[in-house]
Amino acid sequence: MGEITEFLTLMIPAMVPFLLAAQGTVLSGRAGVFNVSQEGLMVLGAAVGFLVSFKVGSNVVGMAAAFAIAGVFGLVLAYMTTQLRLDQFVVGLALYFAALGAAGLLYREVIGVTMEPPLIPTLEDKPIPLLSDIPFLGEVLFDHDLVVYLAFAISVAIWWFMYKTRSGLAFRSIGENPKAADSLGINVTWARTWSTVVGSGLVGMAGAYLPMVYTGLYTEGMVAGRGWLVIALAFLGGWRPHLVIAGAAFFAGMEVLALRAQVAGIGIPHQFVLMLPYVATLLVMVFAFRWARQPSFLGRNYDRESRLVG
Amino acid sequence: MSDTLTAPPSAASGPPAGPGQRPRRVVEALWLVVPYIVSVVLAFVVGGLIIAAIGRDPFAAFESVLTTSFNTRFGTIETLHKWVPVLLCAYAFAIPLATGKFNIGAEGQLLVGATGGVALGILWSDLPMVLLLPCVLVAGALSGAVWAGIAAFLMTKFQVNEILSTVVLNFISFQLIDYVASHVWPDRGAGHPATTPVGEGALLPGIGQAPPMHTGVLLTVFLVIVIAVFMRRTSTGFEMRAVGANLRAAQVHGIRTSRLAGAGLVVGGAVAGLAGAIEVAGVHGKMLEGMQSNFLILGIIVGLMARGSMLALPFIAFGIAVLEVGAGSMQRTAQVPVEMVLIIEALILLFLLLSDIARAKIRRH
Amino acid sequence: MENPRLEMRGIVKTFGPVTALDAVDLVVGRNEVHGLLGGNGAGKTTLMNVLYGLYRPNAGEVLLDGQPASIGSPKDAIAAGVGMVHQTFLQVDNYTVTENIVLGTDVPGPLRLDLSDAKARIRELSERFGLTVDPDAVVEDLPVGVRQRVEILKALYRGAKLLILDEPTTNLTPQEVDDLFGSMRAMVDDGMSVVLITHKIRETLSVCDRMTVMRDGRRVETIERADTDAEHLAEKMVGSTTDPGAAVDAAALGAVDAEKVEEILSSVGTTTAVAVRDLVVVNDQGHELIQGFELELREGEIVGIAGVAGNGQVELAEALAGVRPLRSGSVEVSGRSMGGLATSTWLHHGVAYVPEDRHRDGILPTASITENLVLGSQRSPQVRRRGLIDWGAAKQRAVDAIAEFSVRANGPATLVGDLSGGNIQRVILARAFARQPRMLILHNPTRGLDIGSTRFVYQQVRKATAAGCAVLLISEDLDEVIALSDRVIALYQGSRAGEWQHGSVDAYAVGRSMTGLGEARV
Repeated sequence: MGEITEFLTLMIPAMVPFLLAAQGTVLSGRAGVFNVSQEGLMVLGAAVGFLVSFKVGSNVVGMAAAFAIAGVFGLVLAYMTTQLRLDQFVVGLALYFAALGAAGLLYREVIGVTMEPPLIPTLEDKPIPLLSDIPFLGEVLFDHDLVVYLAFAISVAIWWFMYKTRSGLAFRSIGENPKAADSLGINVTWARTWSTVVGSGLVGMAGAYLPMVYTGLYTEGMVAGRGWLVIALAFLGGWRPHLVIAGAAFFAGMEVLALRAQVAGIGIPHQFVLMLPYVATLLVMVFAFRWARQPSFLGRNYDRESRLVG
Repeated sequence: MSDTLTAPPSAASGPPAGPGQRPRRVVEALWLVVPYIVSVVLAFVVGGLIIAAIGRDPFAAFESVLTTSFNTRFGTIETLHKWVPVLLCAYAFAIPLATGKFNIGAEGQLLVGATGGVALGILWSDLPMVLLLPCVLVAGALSGAVWAGIAAFLMTKFQVNEILSTVVLNFISFQLIDYVASHVWPDRGAGHPATTPVGEGALLPGIGQAPPMHTGVLLTVFLVIVIAVFMRRTSTGFEMRAVGANLRAAQVHGIRTSRLAGAGLVVGGAVAGLAGAIEVAGVHGKMLEGMQSNFLILGIIVGLMARGSMLALPFIAFGIAVLEVGAGSMQRTAQVPVEMVLIIEALILLFLLLSDIARAKIRRH
Repeated sequence: MENPRLEMRGIVKTFGPVTALDAVDLVVGRNEVHGLLGGNGAGKTTLMNVLYGLYRPNAGEVLLDGQPASIGSPKDAIAAGVGMVHQTFLQVDNYTVTENIVLGTDVPGPLRLDLSDAKARIRELSERFGLTVDPDAVVEDLPVGVRQRVEILKALYRGAKLLILDEPTTNLTPQEVDDLFGSMRAMVDDGMSVVLITHKIRETLSVCDRMTVMRDGRRVETIERADTDAEHLAEKMVGSTTDPGAAVDAAALGAVDAEKVEEILSSVGTTTAVAVRDLVVVNDQGHELIQGFELELREGEIVGIAGVAGNGQVELAEALAGVRPLRSGSVEVSGRSMGGLATSTWLHHGVAYVPEDRHRDGILPTASITENLVLGSQRSPQVRRRGLIDWGAAKQRAVDAIAEFSVRANGPATLVGDLSGGNIQRVILARAFARQPRMLILHNPTRGLDIGSTRFVYQQVRKATAAGCAVLLISEDLDEVIALSDRVIALYQGSRAGEWQHGSVDAYAVGRSMTGLGEARV
């Protein structure tokens, strides 16, 4: 029992980067914008979140700054794909490179080469009164830092927006058939723009969480492909926010499992244990692409005056 | 990517153009080259503004970026040695892209290729060069092909998105080479995960002295010609481009599309694997962690900048190699972080994309 | 006209170098069904897309109920009481009928989704205008006729006073067309105005009060129903002709009754070219969309397949072209059994396919004309020299083909994606004929083409049959099928539902069979 509680208690915060980034990806994806710059935005978010927290001394401000800078990248992606109609993959890759470069540049400029790596305070756990006293569940679910609660709240909010509101009905139609949406007076460009900005911002926040939660350190490889796994997660969840939560639990569980197996030393070289999350991802994708639905217009630009479309 | 088939084949093999055609050819050539020049200039202007904003001298920075490759023999050789893996990784990206598939796995394929090469280079280290060196290079290419083949298999059998599978395989390969370098043939004295050196016969011979240029450069030049002929003149090359241009139409006209798309990935993986073997046989003499450098990203940048033209790749790759070699000396002489070069490269790419729109607007008038 | 509902004055619209609308005027009265008549490419749809705010005009003004209307987007058009039913339905496939209809409207409140009021309103509207639908059905499960009603309801739900219908009869049976025209009259009686975009003269004559004829982006004439007849309209629409086959062309264009055309296009031989036995074909989801299909085609014969879209036409065409595998049964071309062979082998054995969706299935848009003509024969000895593709020779053949098929292009290096629909179809035909086909499969070969290109297609079909090629014409344009074919076969739910010889075809009988109501099962 203690083993399981501990595993779940570690898994919940490990879900946060996956949740925030995947919900951000799903948000813009349901409007038809397929962002592939997540890995870069998470690295940039981690760097900016860390540096601002370090300089200002507040993790909240750091997180907001990460959201803002990634949102700016999202704005560029939205502008170049909705207004200029450039290929979404290509622009996304270009922004991925630019974000990587910007992250490295900023860290070197602000910190430079130091003997002792700078540290920021890690996020404090804020147990929710009453709820955290429930045996087992309280410990697993309600005794974490605020960003954990925020990530889950954002997931629920996005689900509620998409499926329970009138605007959500209109919003989802853009990713399925933007010409139909446009013909009914729904503003395709605006929906794609705001969702890409907010979605990218969430990806940046996901990155910023990484230095704040475990070590308080920023290292170059700390995102470790999570940005790409997040895209796999969006596909796995069929681009639906509630299923993404379940998928995030799977990815986070794999990550925790690999770390704990490495620490426990189970006789297998640790390299193979560390491969586990990635191998599991490959296997899961075999099933994901079989049955999971994706928005019909995902990754395609909409041009109202194009005579070829429709 | 929509413009994979833009280069008219008539330019290469059509009957000689009449005198009346010449001005139009020149104009067409200008339309191809001018956007590159404008994009590079604009990227440097924006990059220069950023450098000035952080309080450094942009002119000093750009001087060392652009001249390091040509000032010394050392710089030139280093540039050519960088050109090889950057170009091969660009092919690893561009060949599958011709069939419409994105291979983001060149670094994994390069590392696994290096592993294949290093394995033979160590196991058969007593063999003479005429036998061992070809074995090492072929093993590298085959290993890279097998690694990309996993993604190709998942794509053709289970419709797994190749962008994701190739990326995820990169992360698996990092652990794989870490294991090989720390458990199978570890060099305990290296202070960094690395294998023991390969046999003498596995090394690419050098040309010239202080420092020598490895013959992998010549091998790459030969490969450039082979790939250009393959893509333009063979039926398979044409079919690959047809799949990239319109998958459905290719299918309707008798092309086995999924087989070809898979083959494109495997060939791309083989080229990246060969790059890994050349790095082992020409540069490091062993395998070490981090040897993939940032070749994946540079390869993608080059592949995207070429916009479907296999002929443009070697030239763009050379330009990128110049920038990369210059980046280090820029950091030393002008105190501008090396990452500035990556930002400039991303800016060149973005401006190139924008130039398509500008060009379409100008042409309309 | 006194107090018209709509006035459009001097509308100009250009796409790049092409002028699609050249100072067009249009006046639509109250309580009027107004026909907007013209061949494809005449500018009818473009004009209405301007009115609906989808295209921004370069010049001109729009007045609704006498007031200048500034319509910058479909939202403005809807607010001004304009509704439009597009040729391809603008629906979200995985939404229900109700969700599709309420999409983008103001009820119910922004923070909550309650569709019960909307459903009641939809039921009321569908009863009033005879447009039966189930508000809870998911639209991707509905047949074409019903999806069209959803589109009309969408406009009515938004309170449209002026309804534009863009070629609404394309996929309907004659019976469904009658129902639709009935609903249109009901709307006009209710105080609305309707604009009917069509290229079929008979349709305008049977339902419109007035009509405007367009040609080449210009308005040719606006005329009262009482003051005109089919011949006059045909002349205005097409310009006068004395070409051989003119009667067939006119019938195929819907200017005269196809059933009454005596002239025959083909030159039927006695040898069997194609034999199809007990054919079963499945779609991508594994459903049997062609069941037990039998067909025999003689050399030089044209057999037409009439049917409502979605009754297995795509599967039949692709199976006979060797693109889609046969689930069971056999296909013989010139006595050779083709089942199980690769698509490329079918091509080499003389099967040529002109697919319905030219852009999606027919061309490499970013490749040159030369490359597009090589597509499909890149491994044949005519194209290769010493194992490599001989682009010099290919280019020469492309130059010849451009001249022979009068493709309007700057040269063989022109990218096919930059060509107009008619010229793309010419490139596709040039490629098909270069291989001297024994069987030619044409699927909706003239859809979306201008009149000149449509005629060109018919001429080429004539040439092919003269050379002994068997032609299978699968078309949703009933007039075209009846006018061109030696035999007409009705296709319903993947099986033959009737067969008629040229000269003894009754369009209504074909229509009944196409919808499963016919008695003449074969």
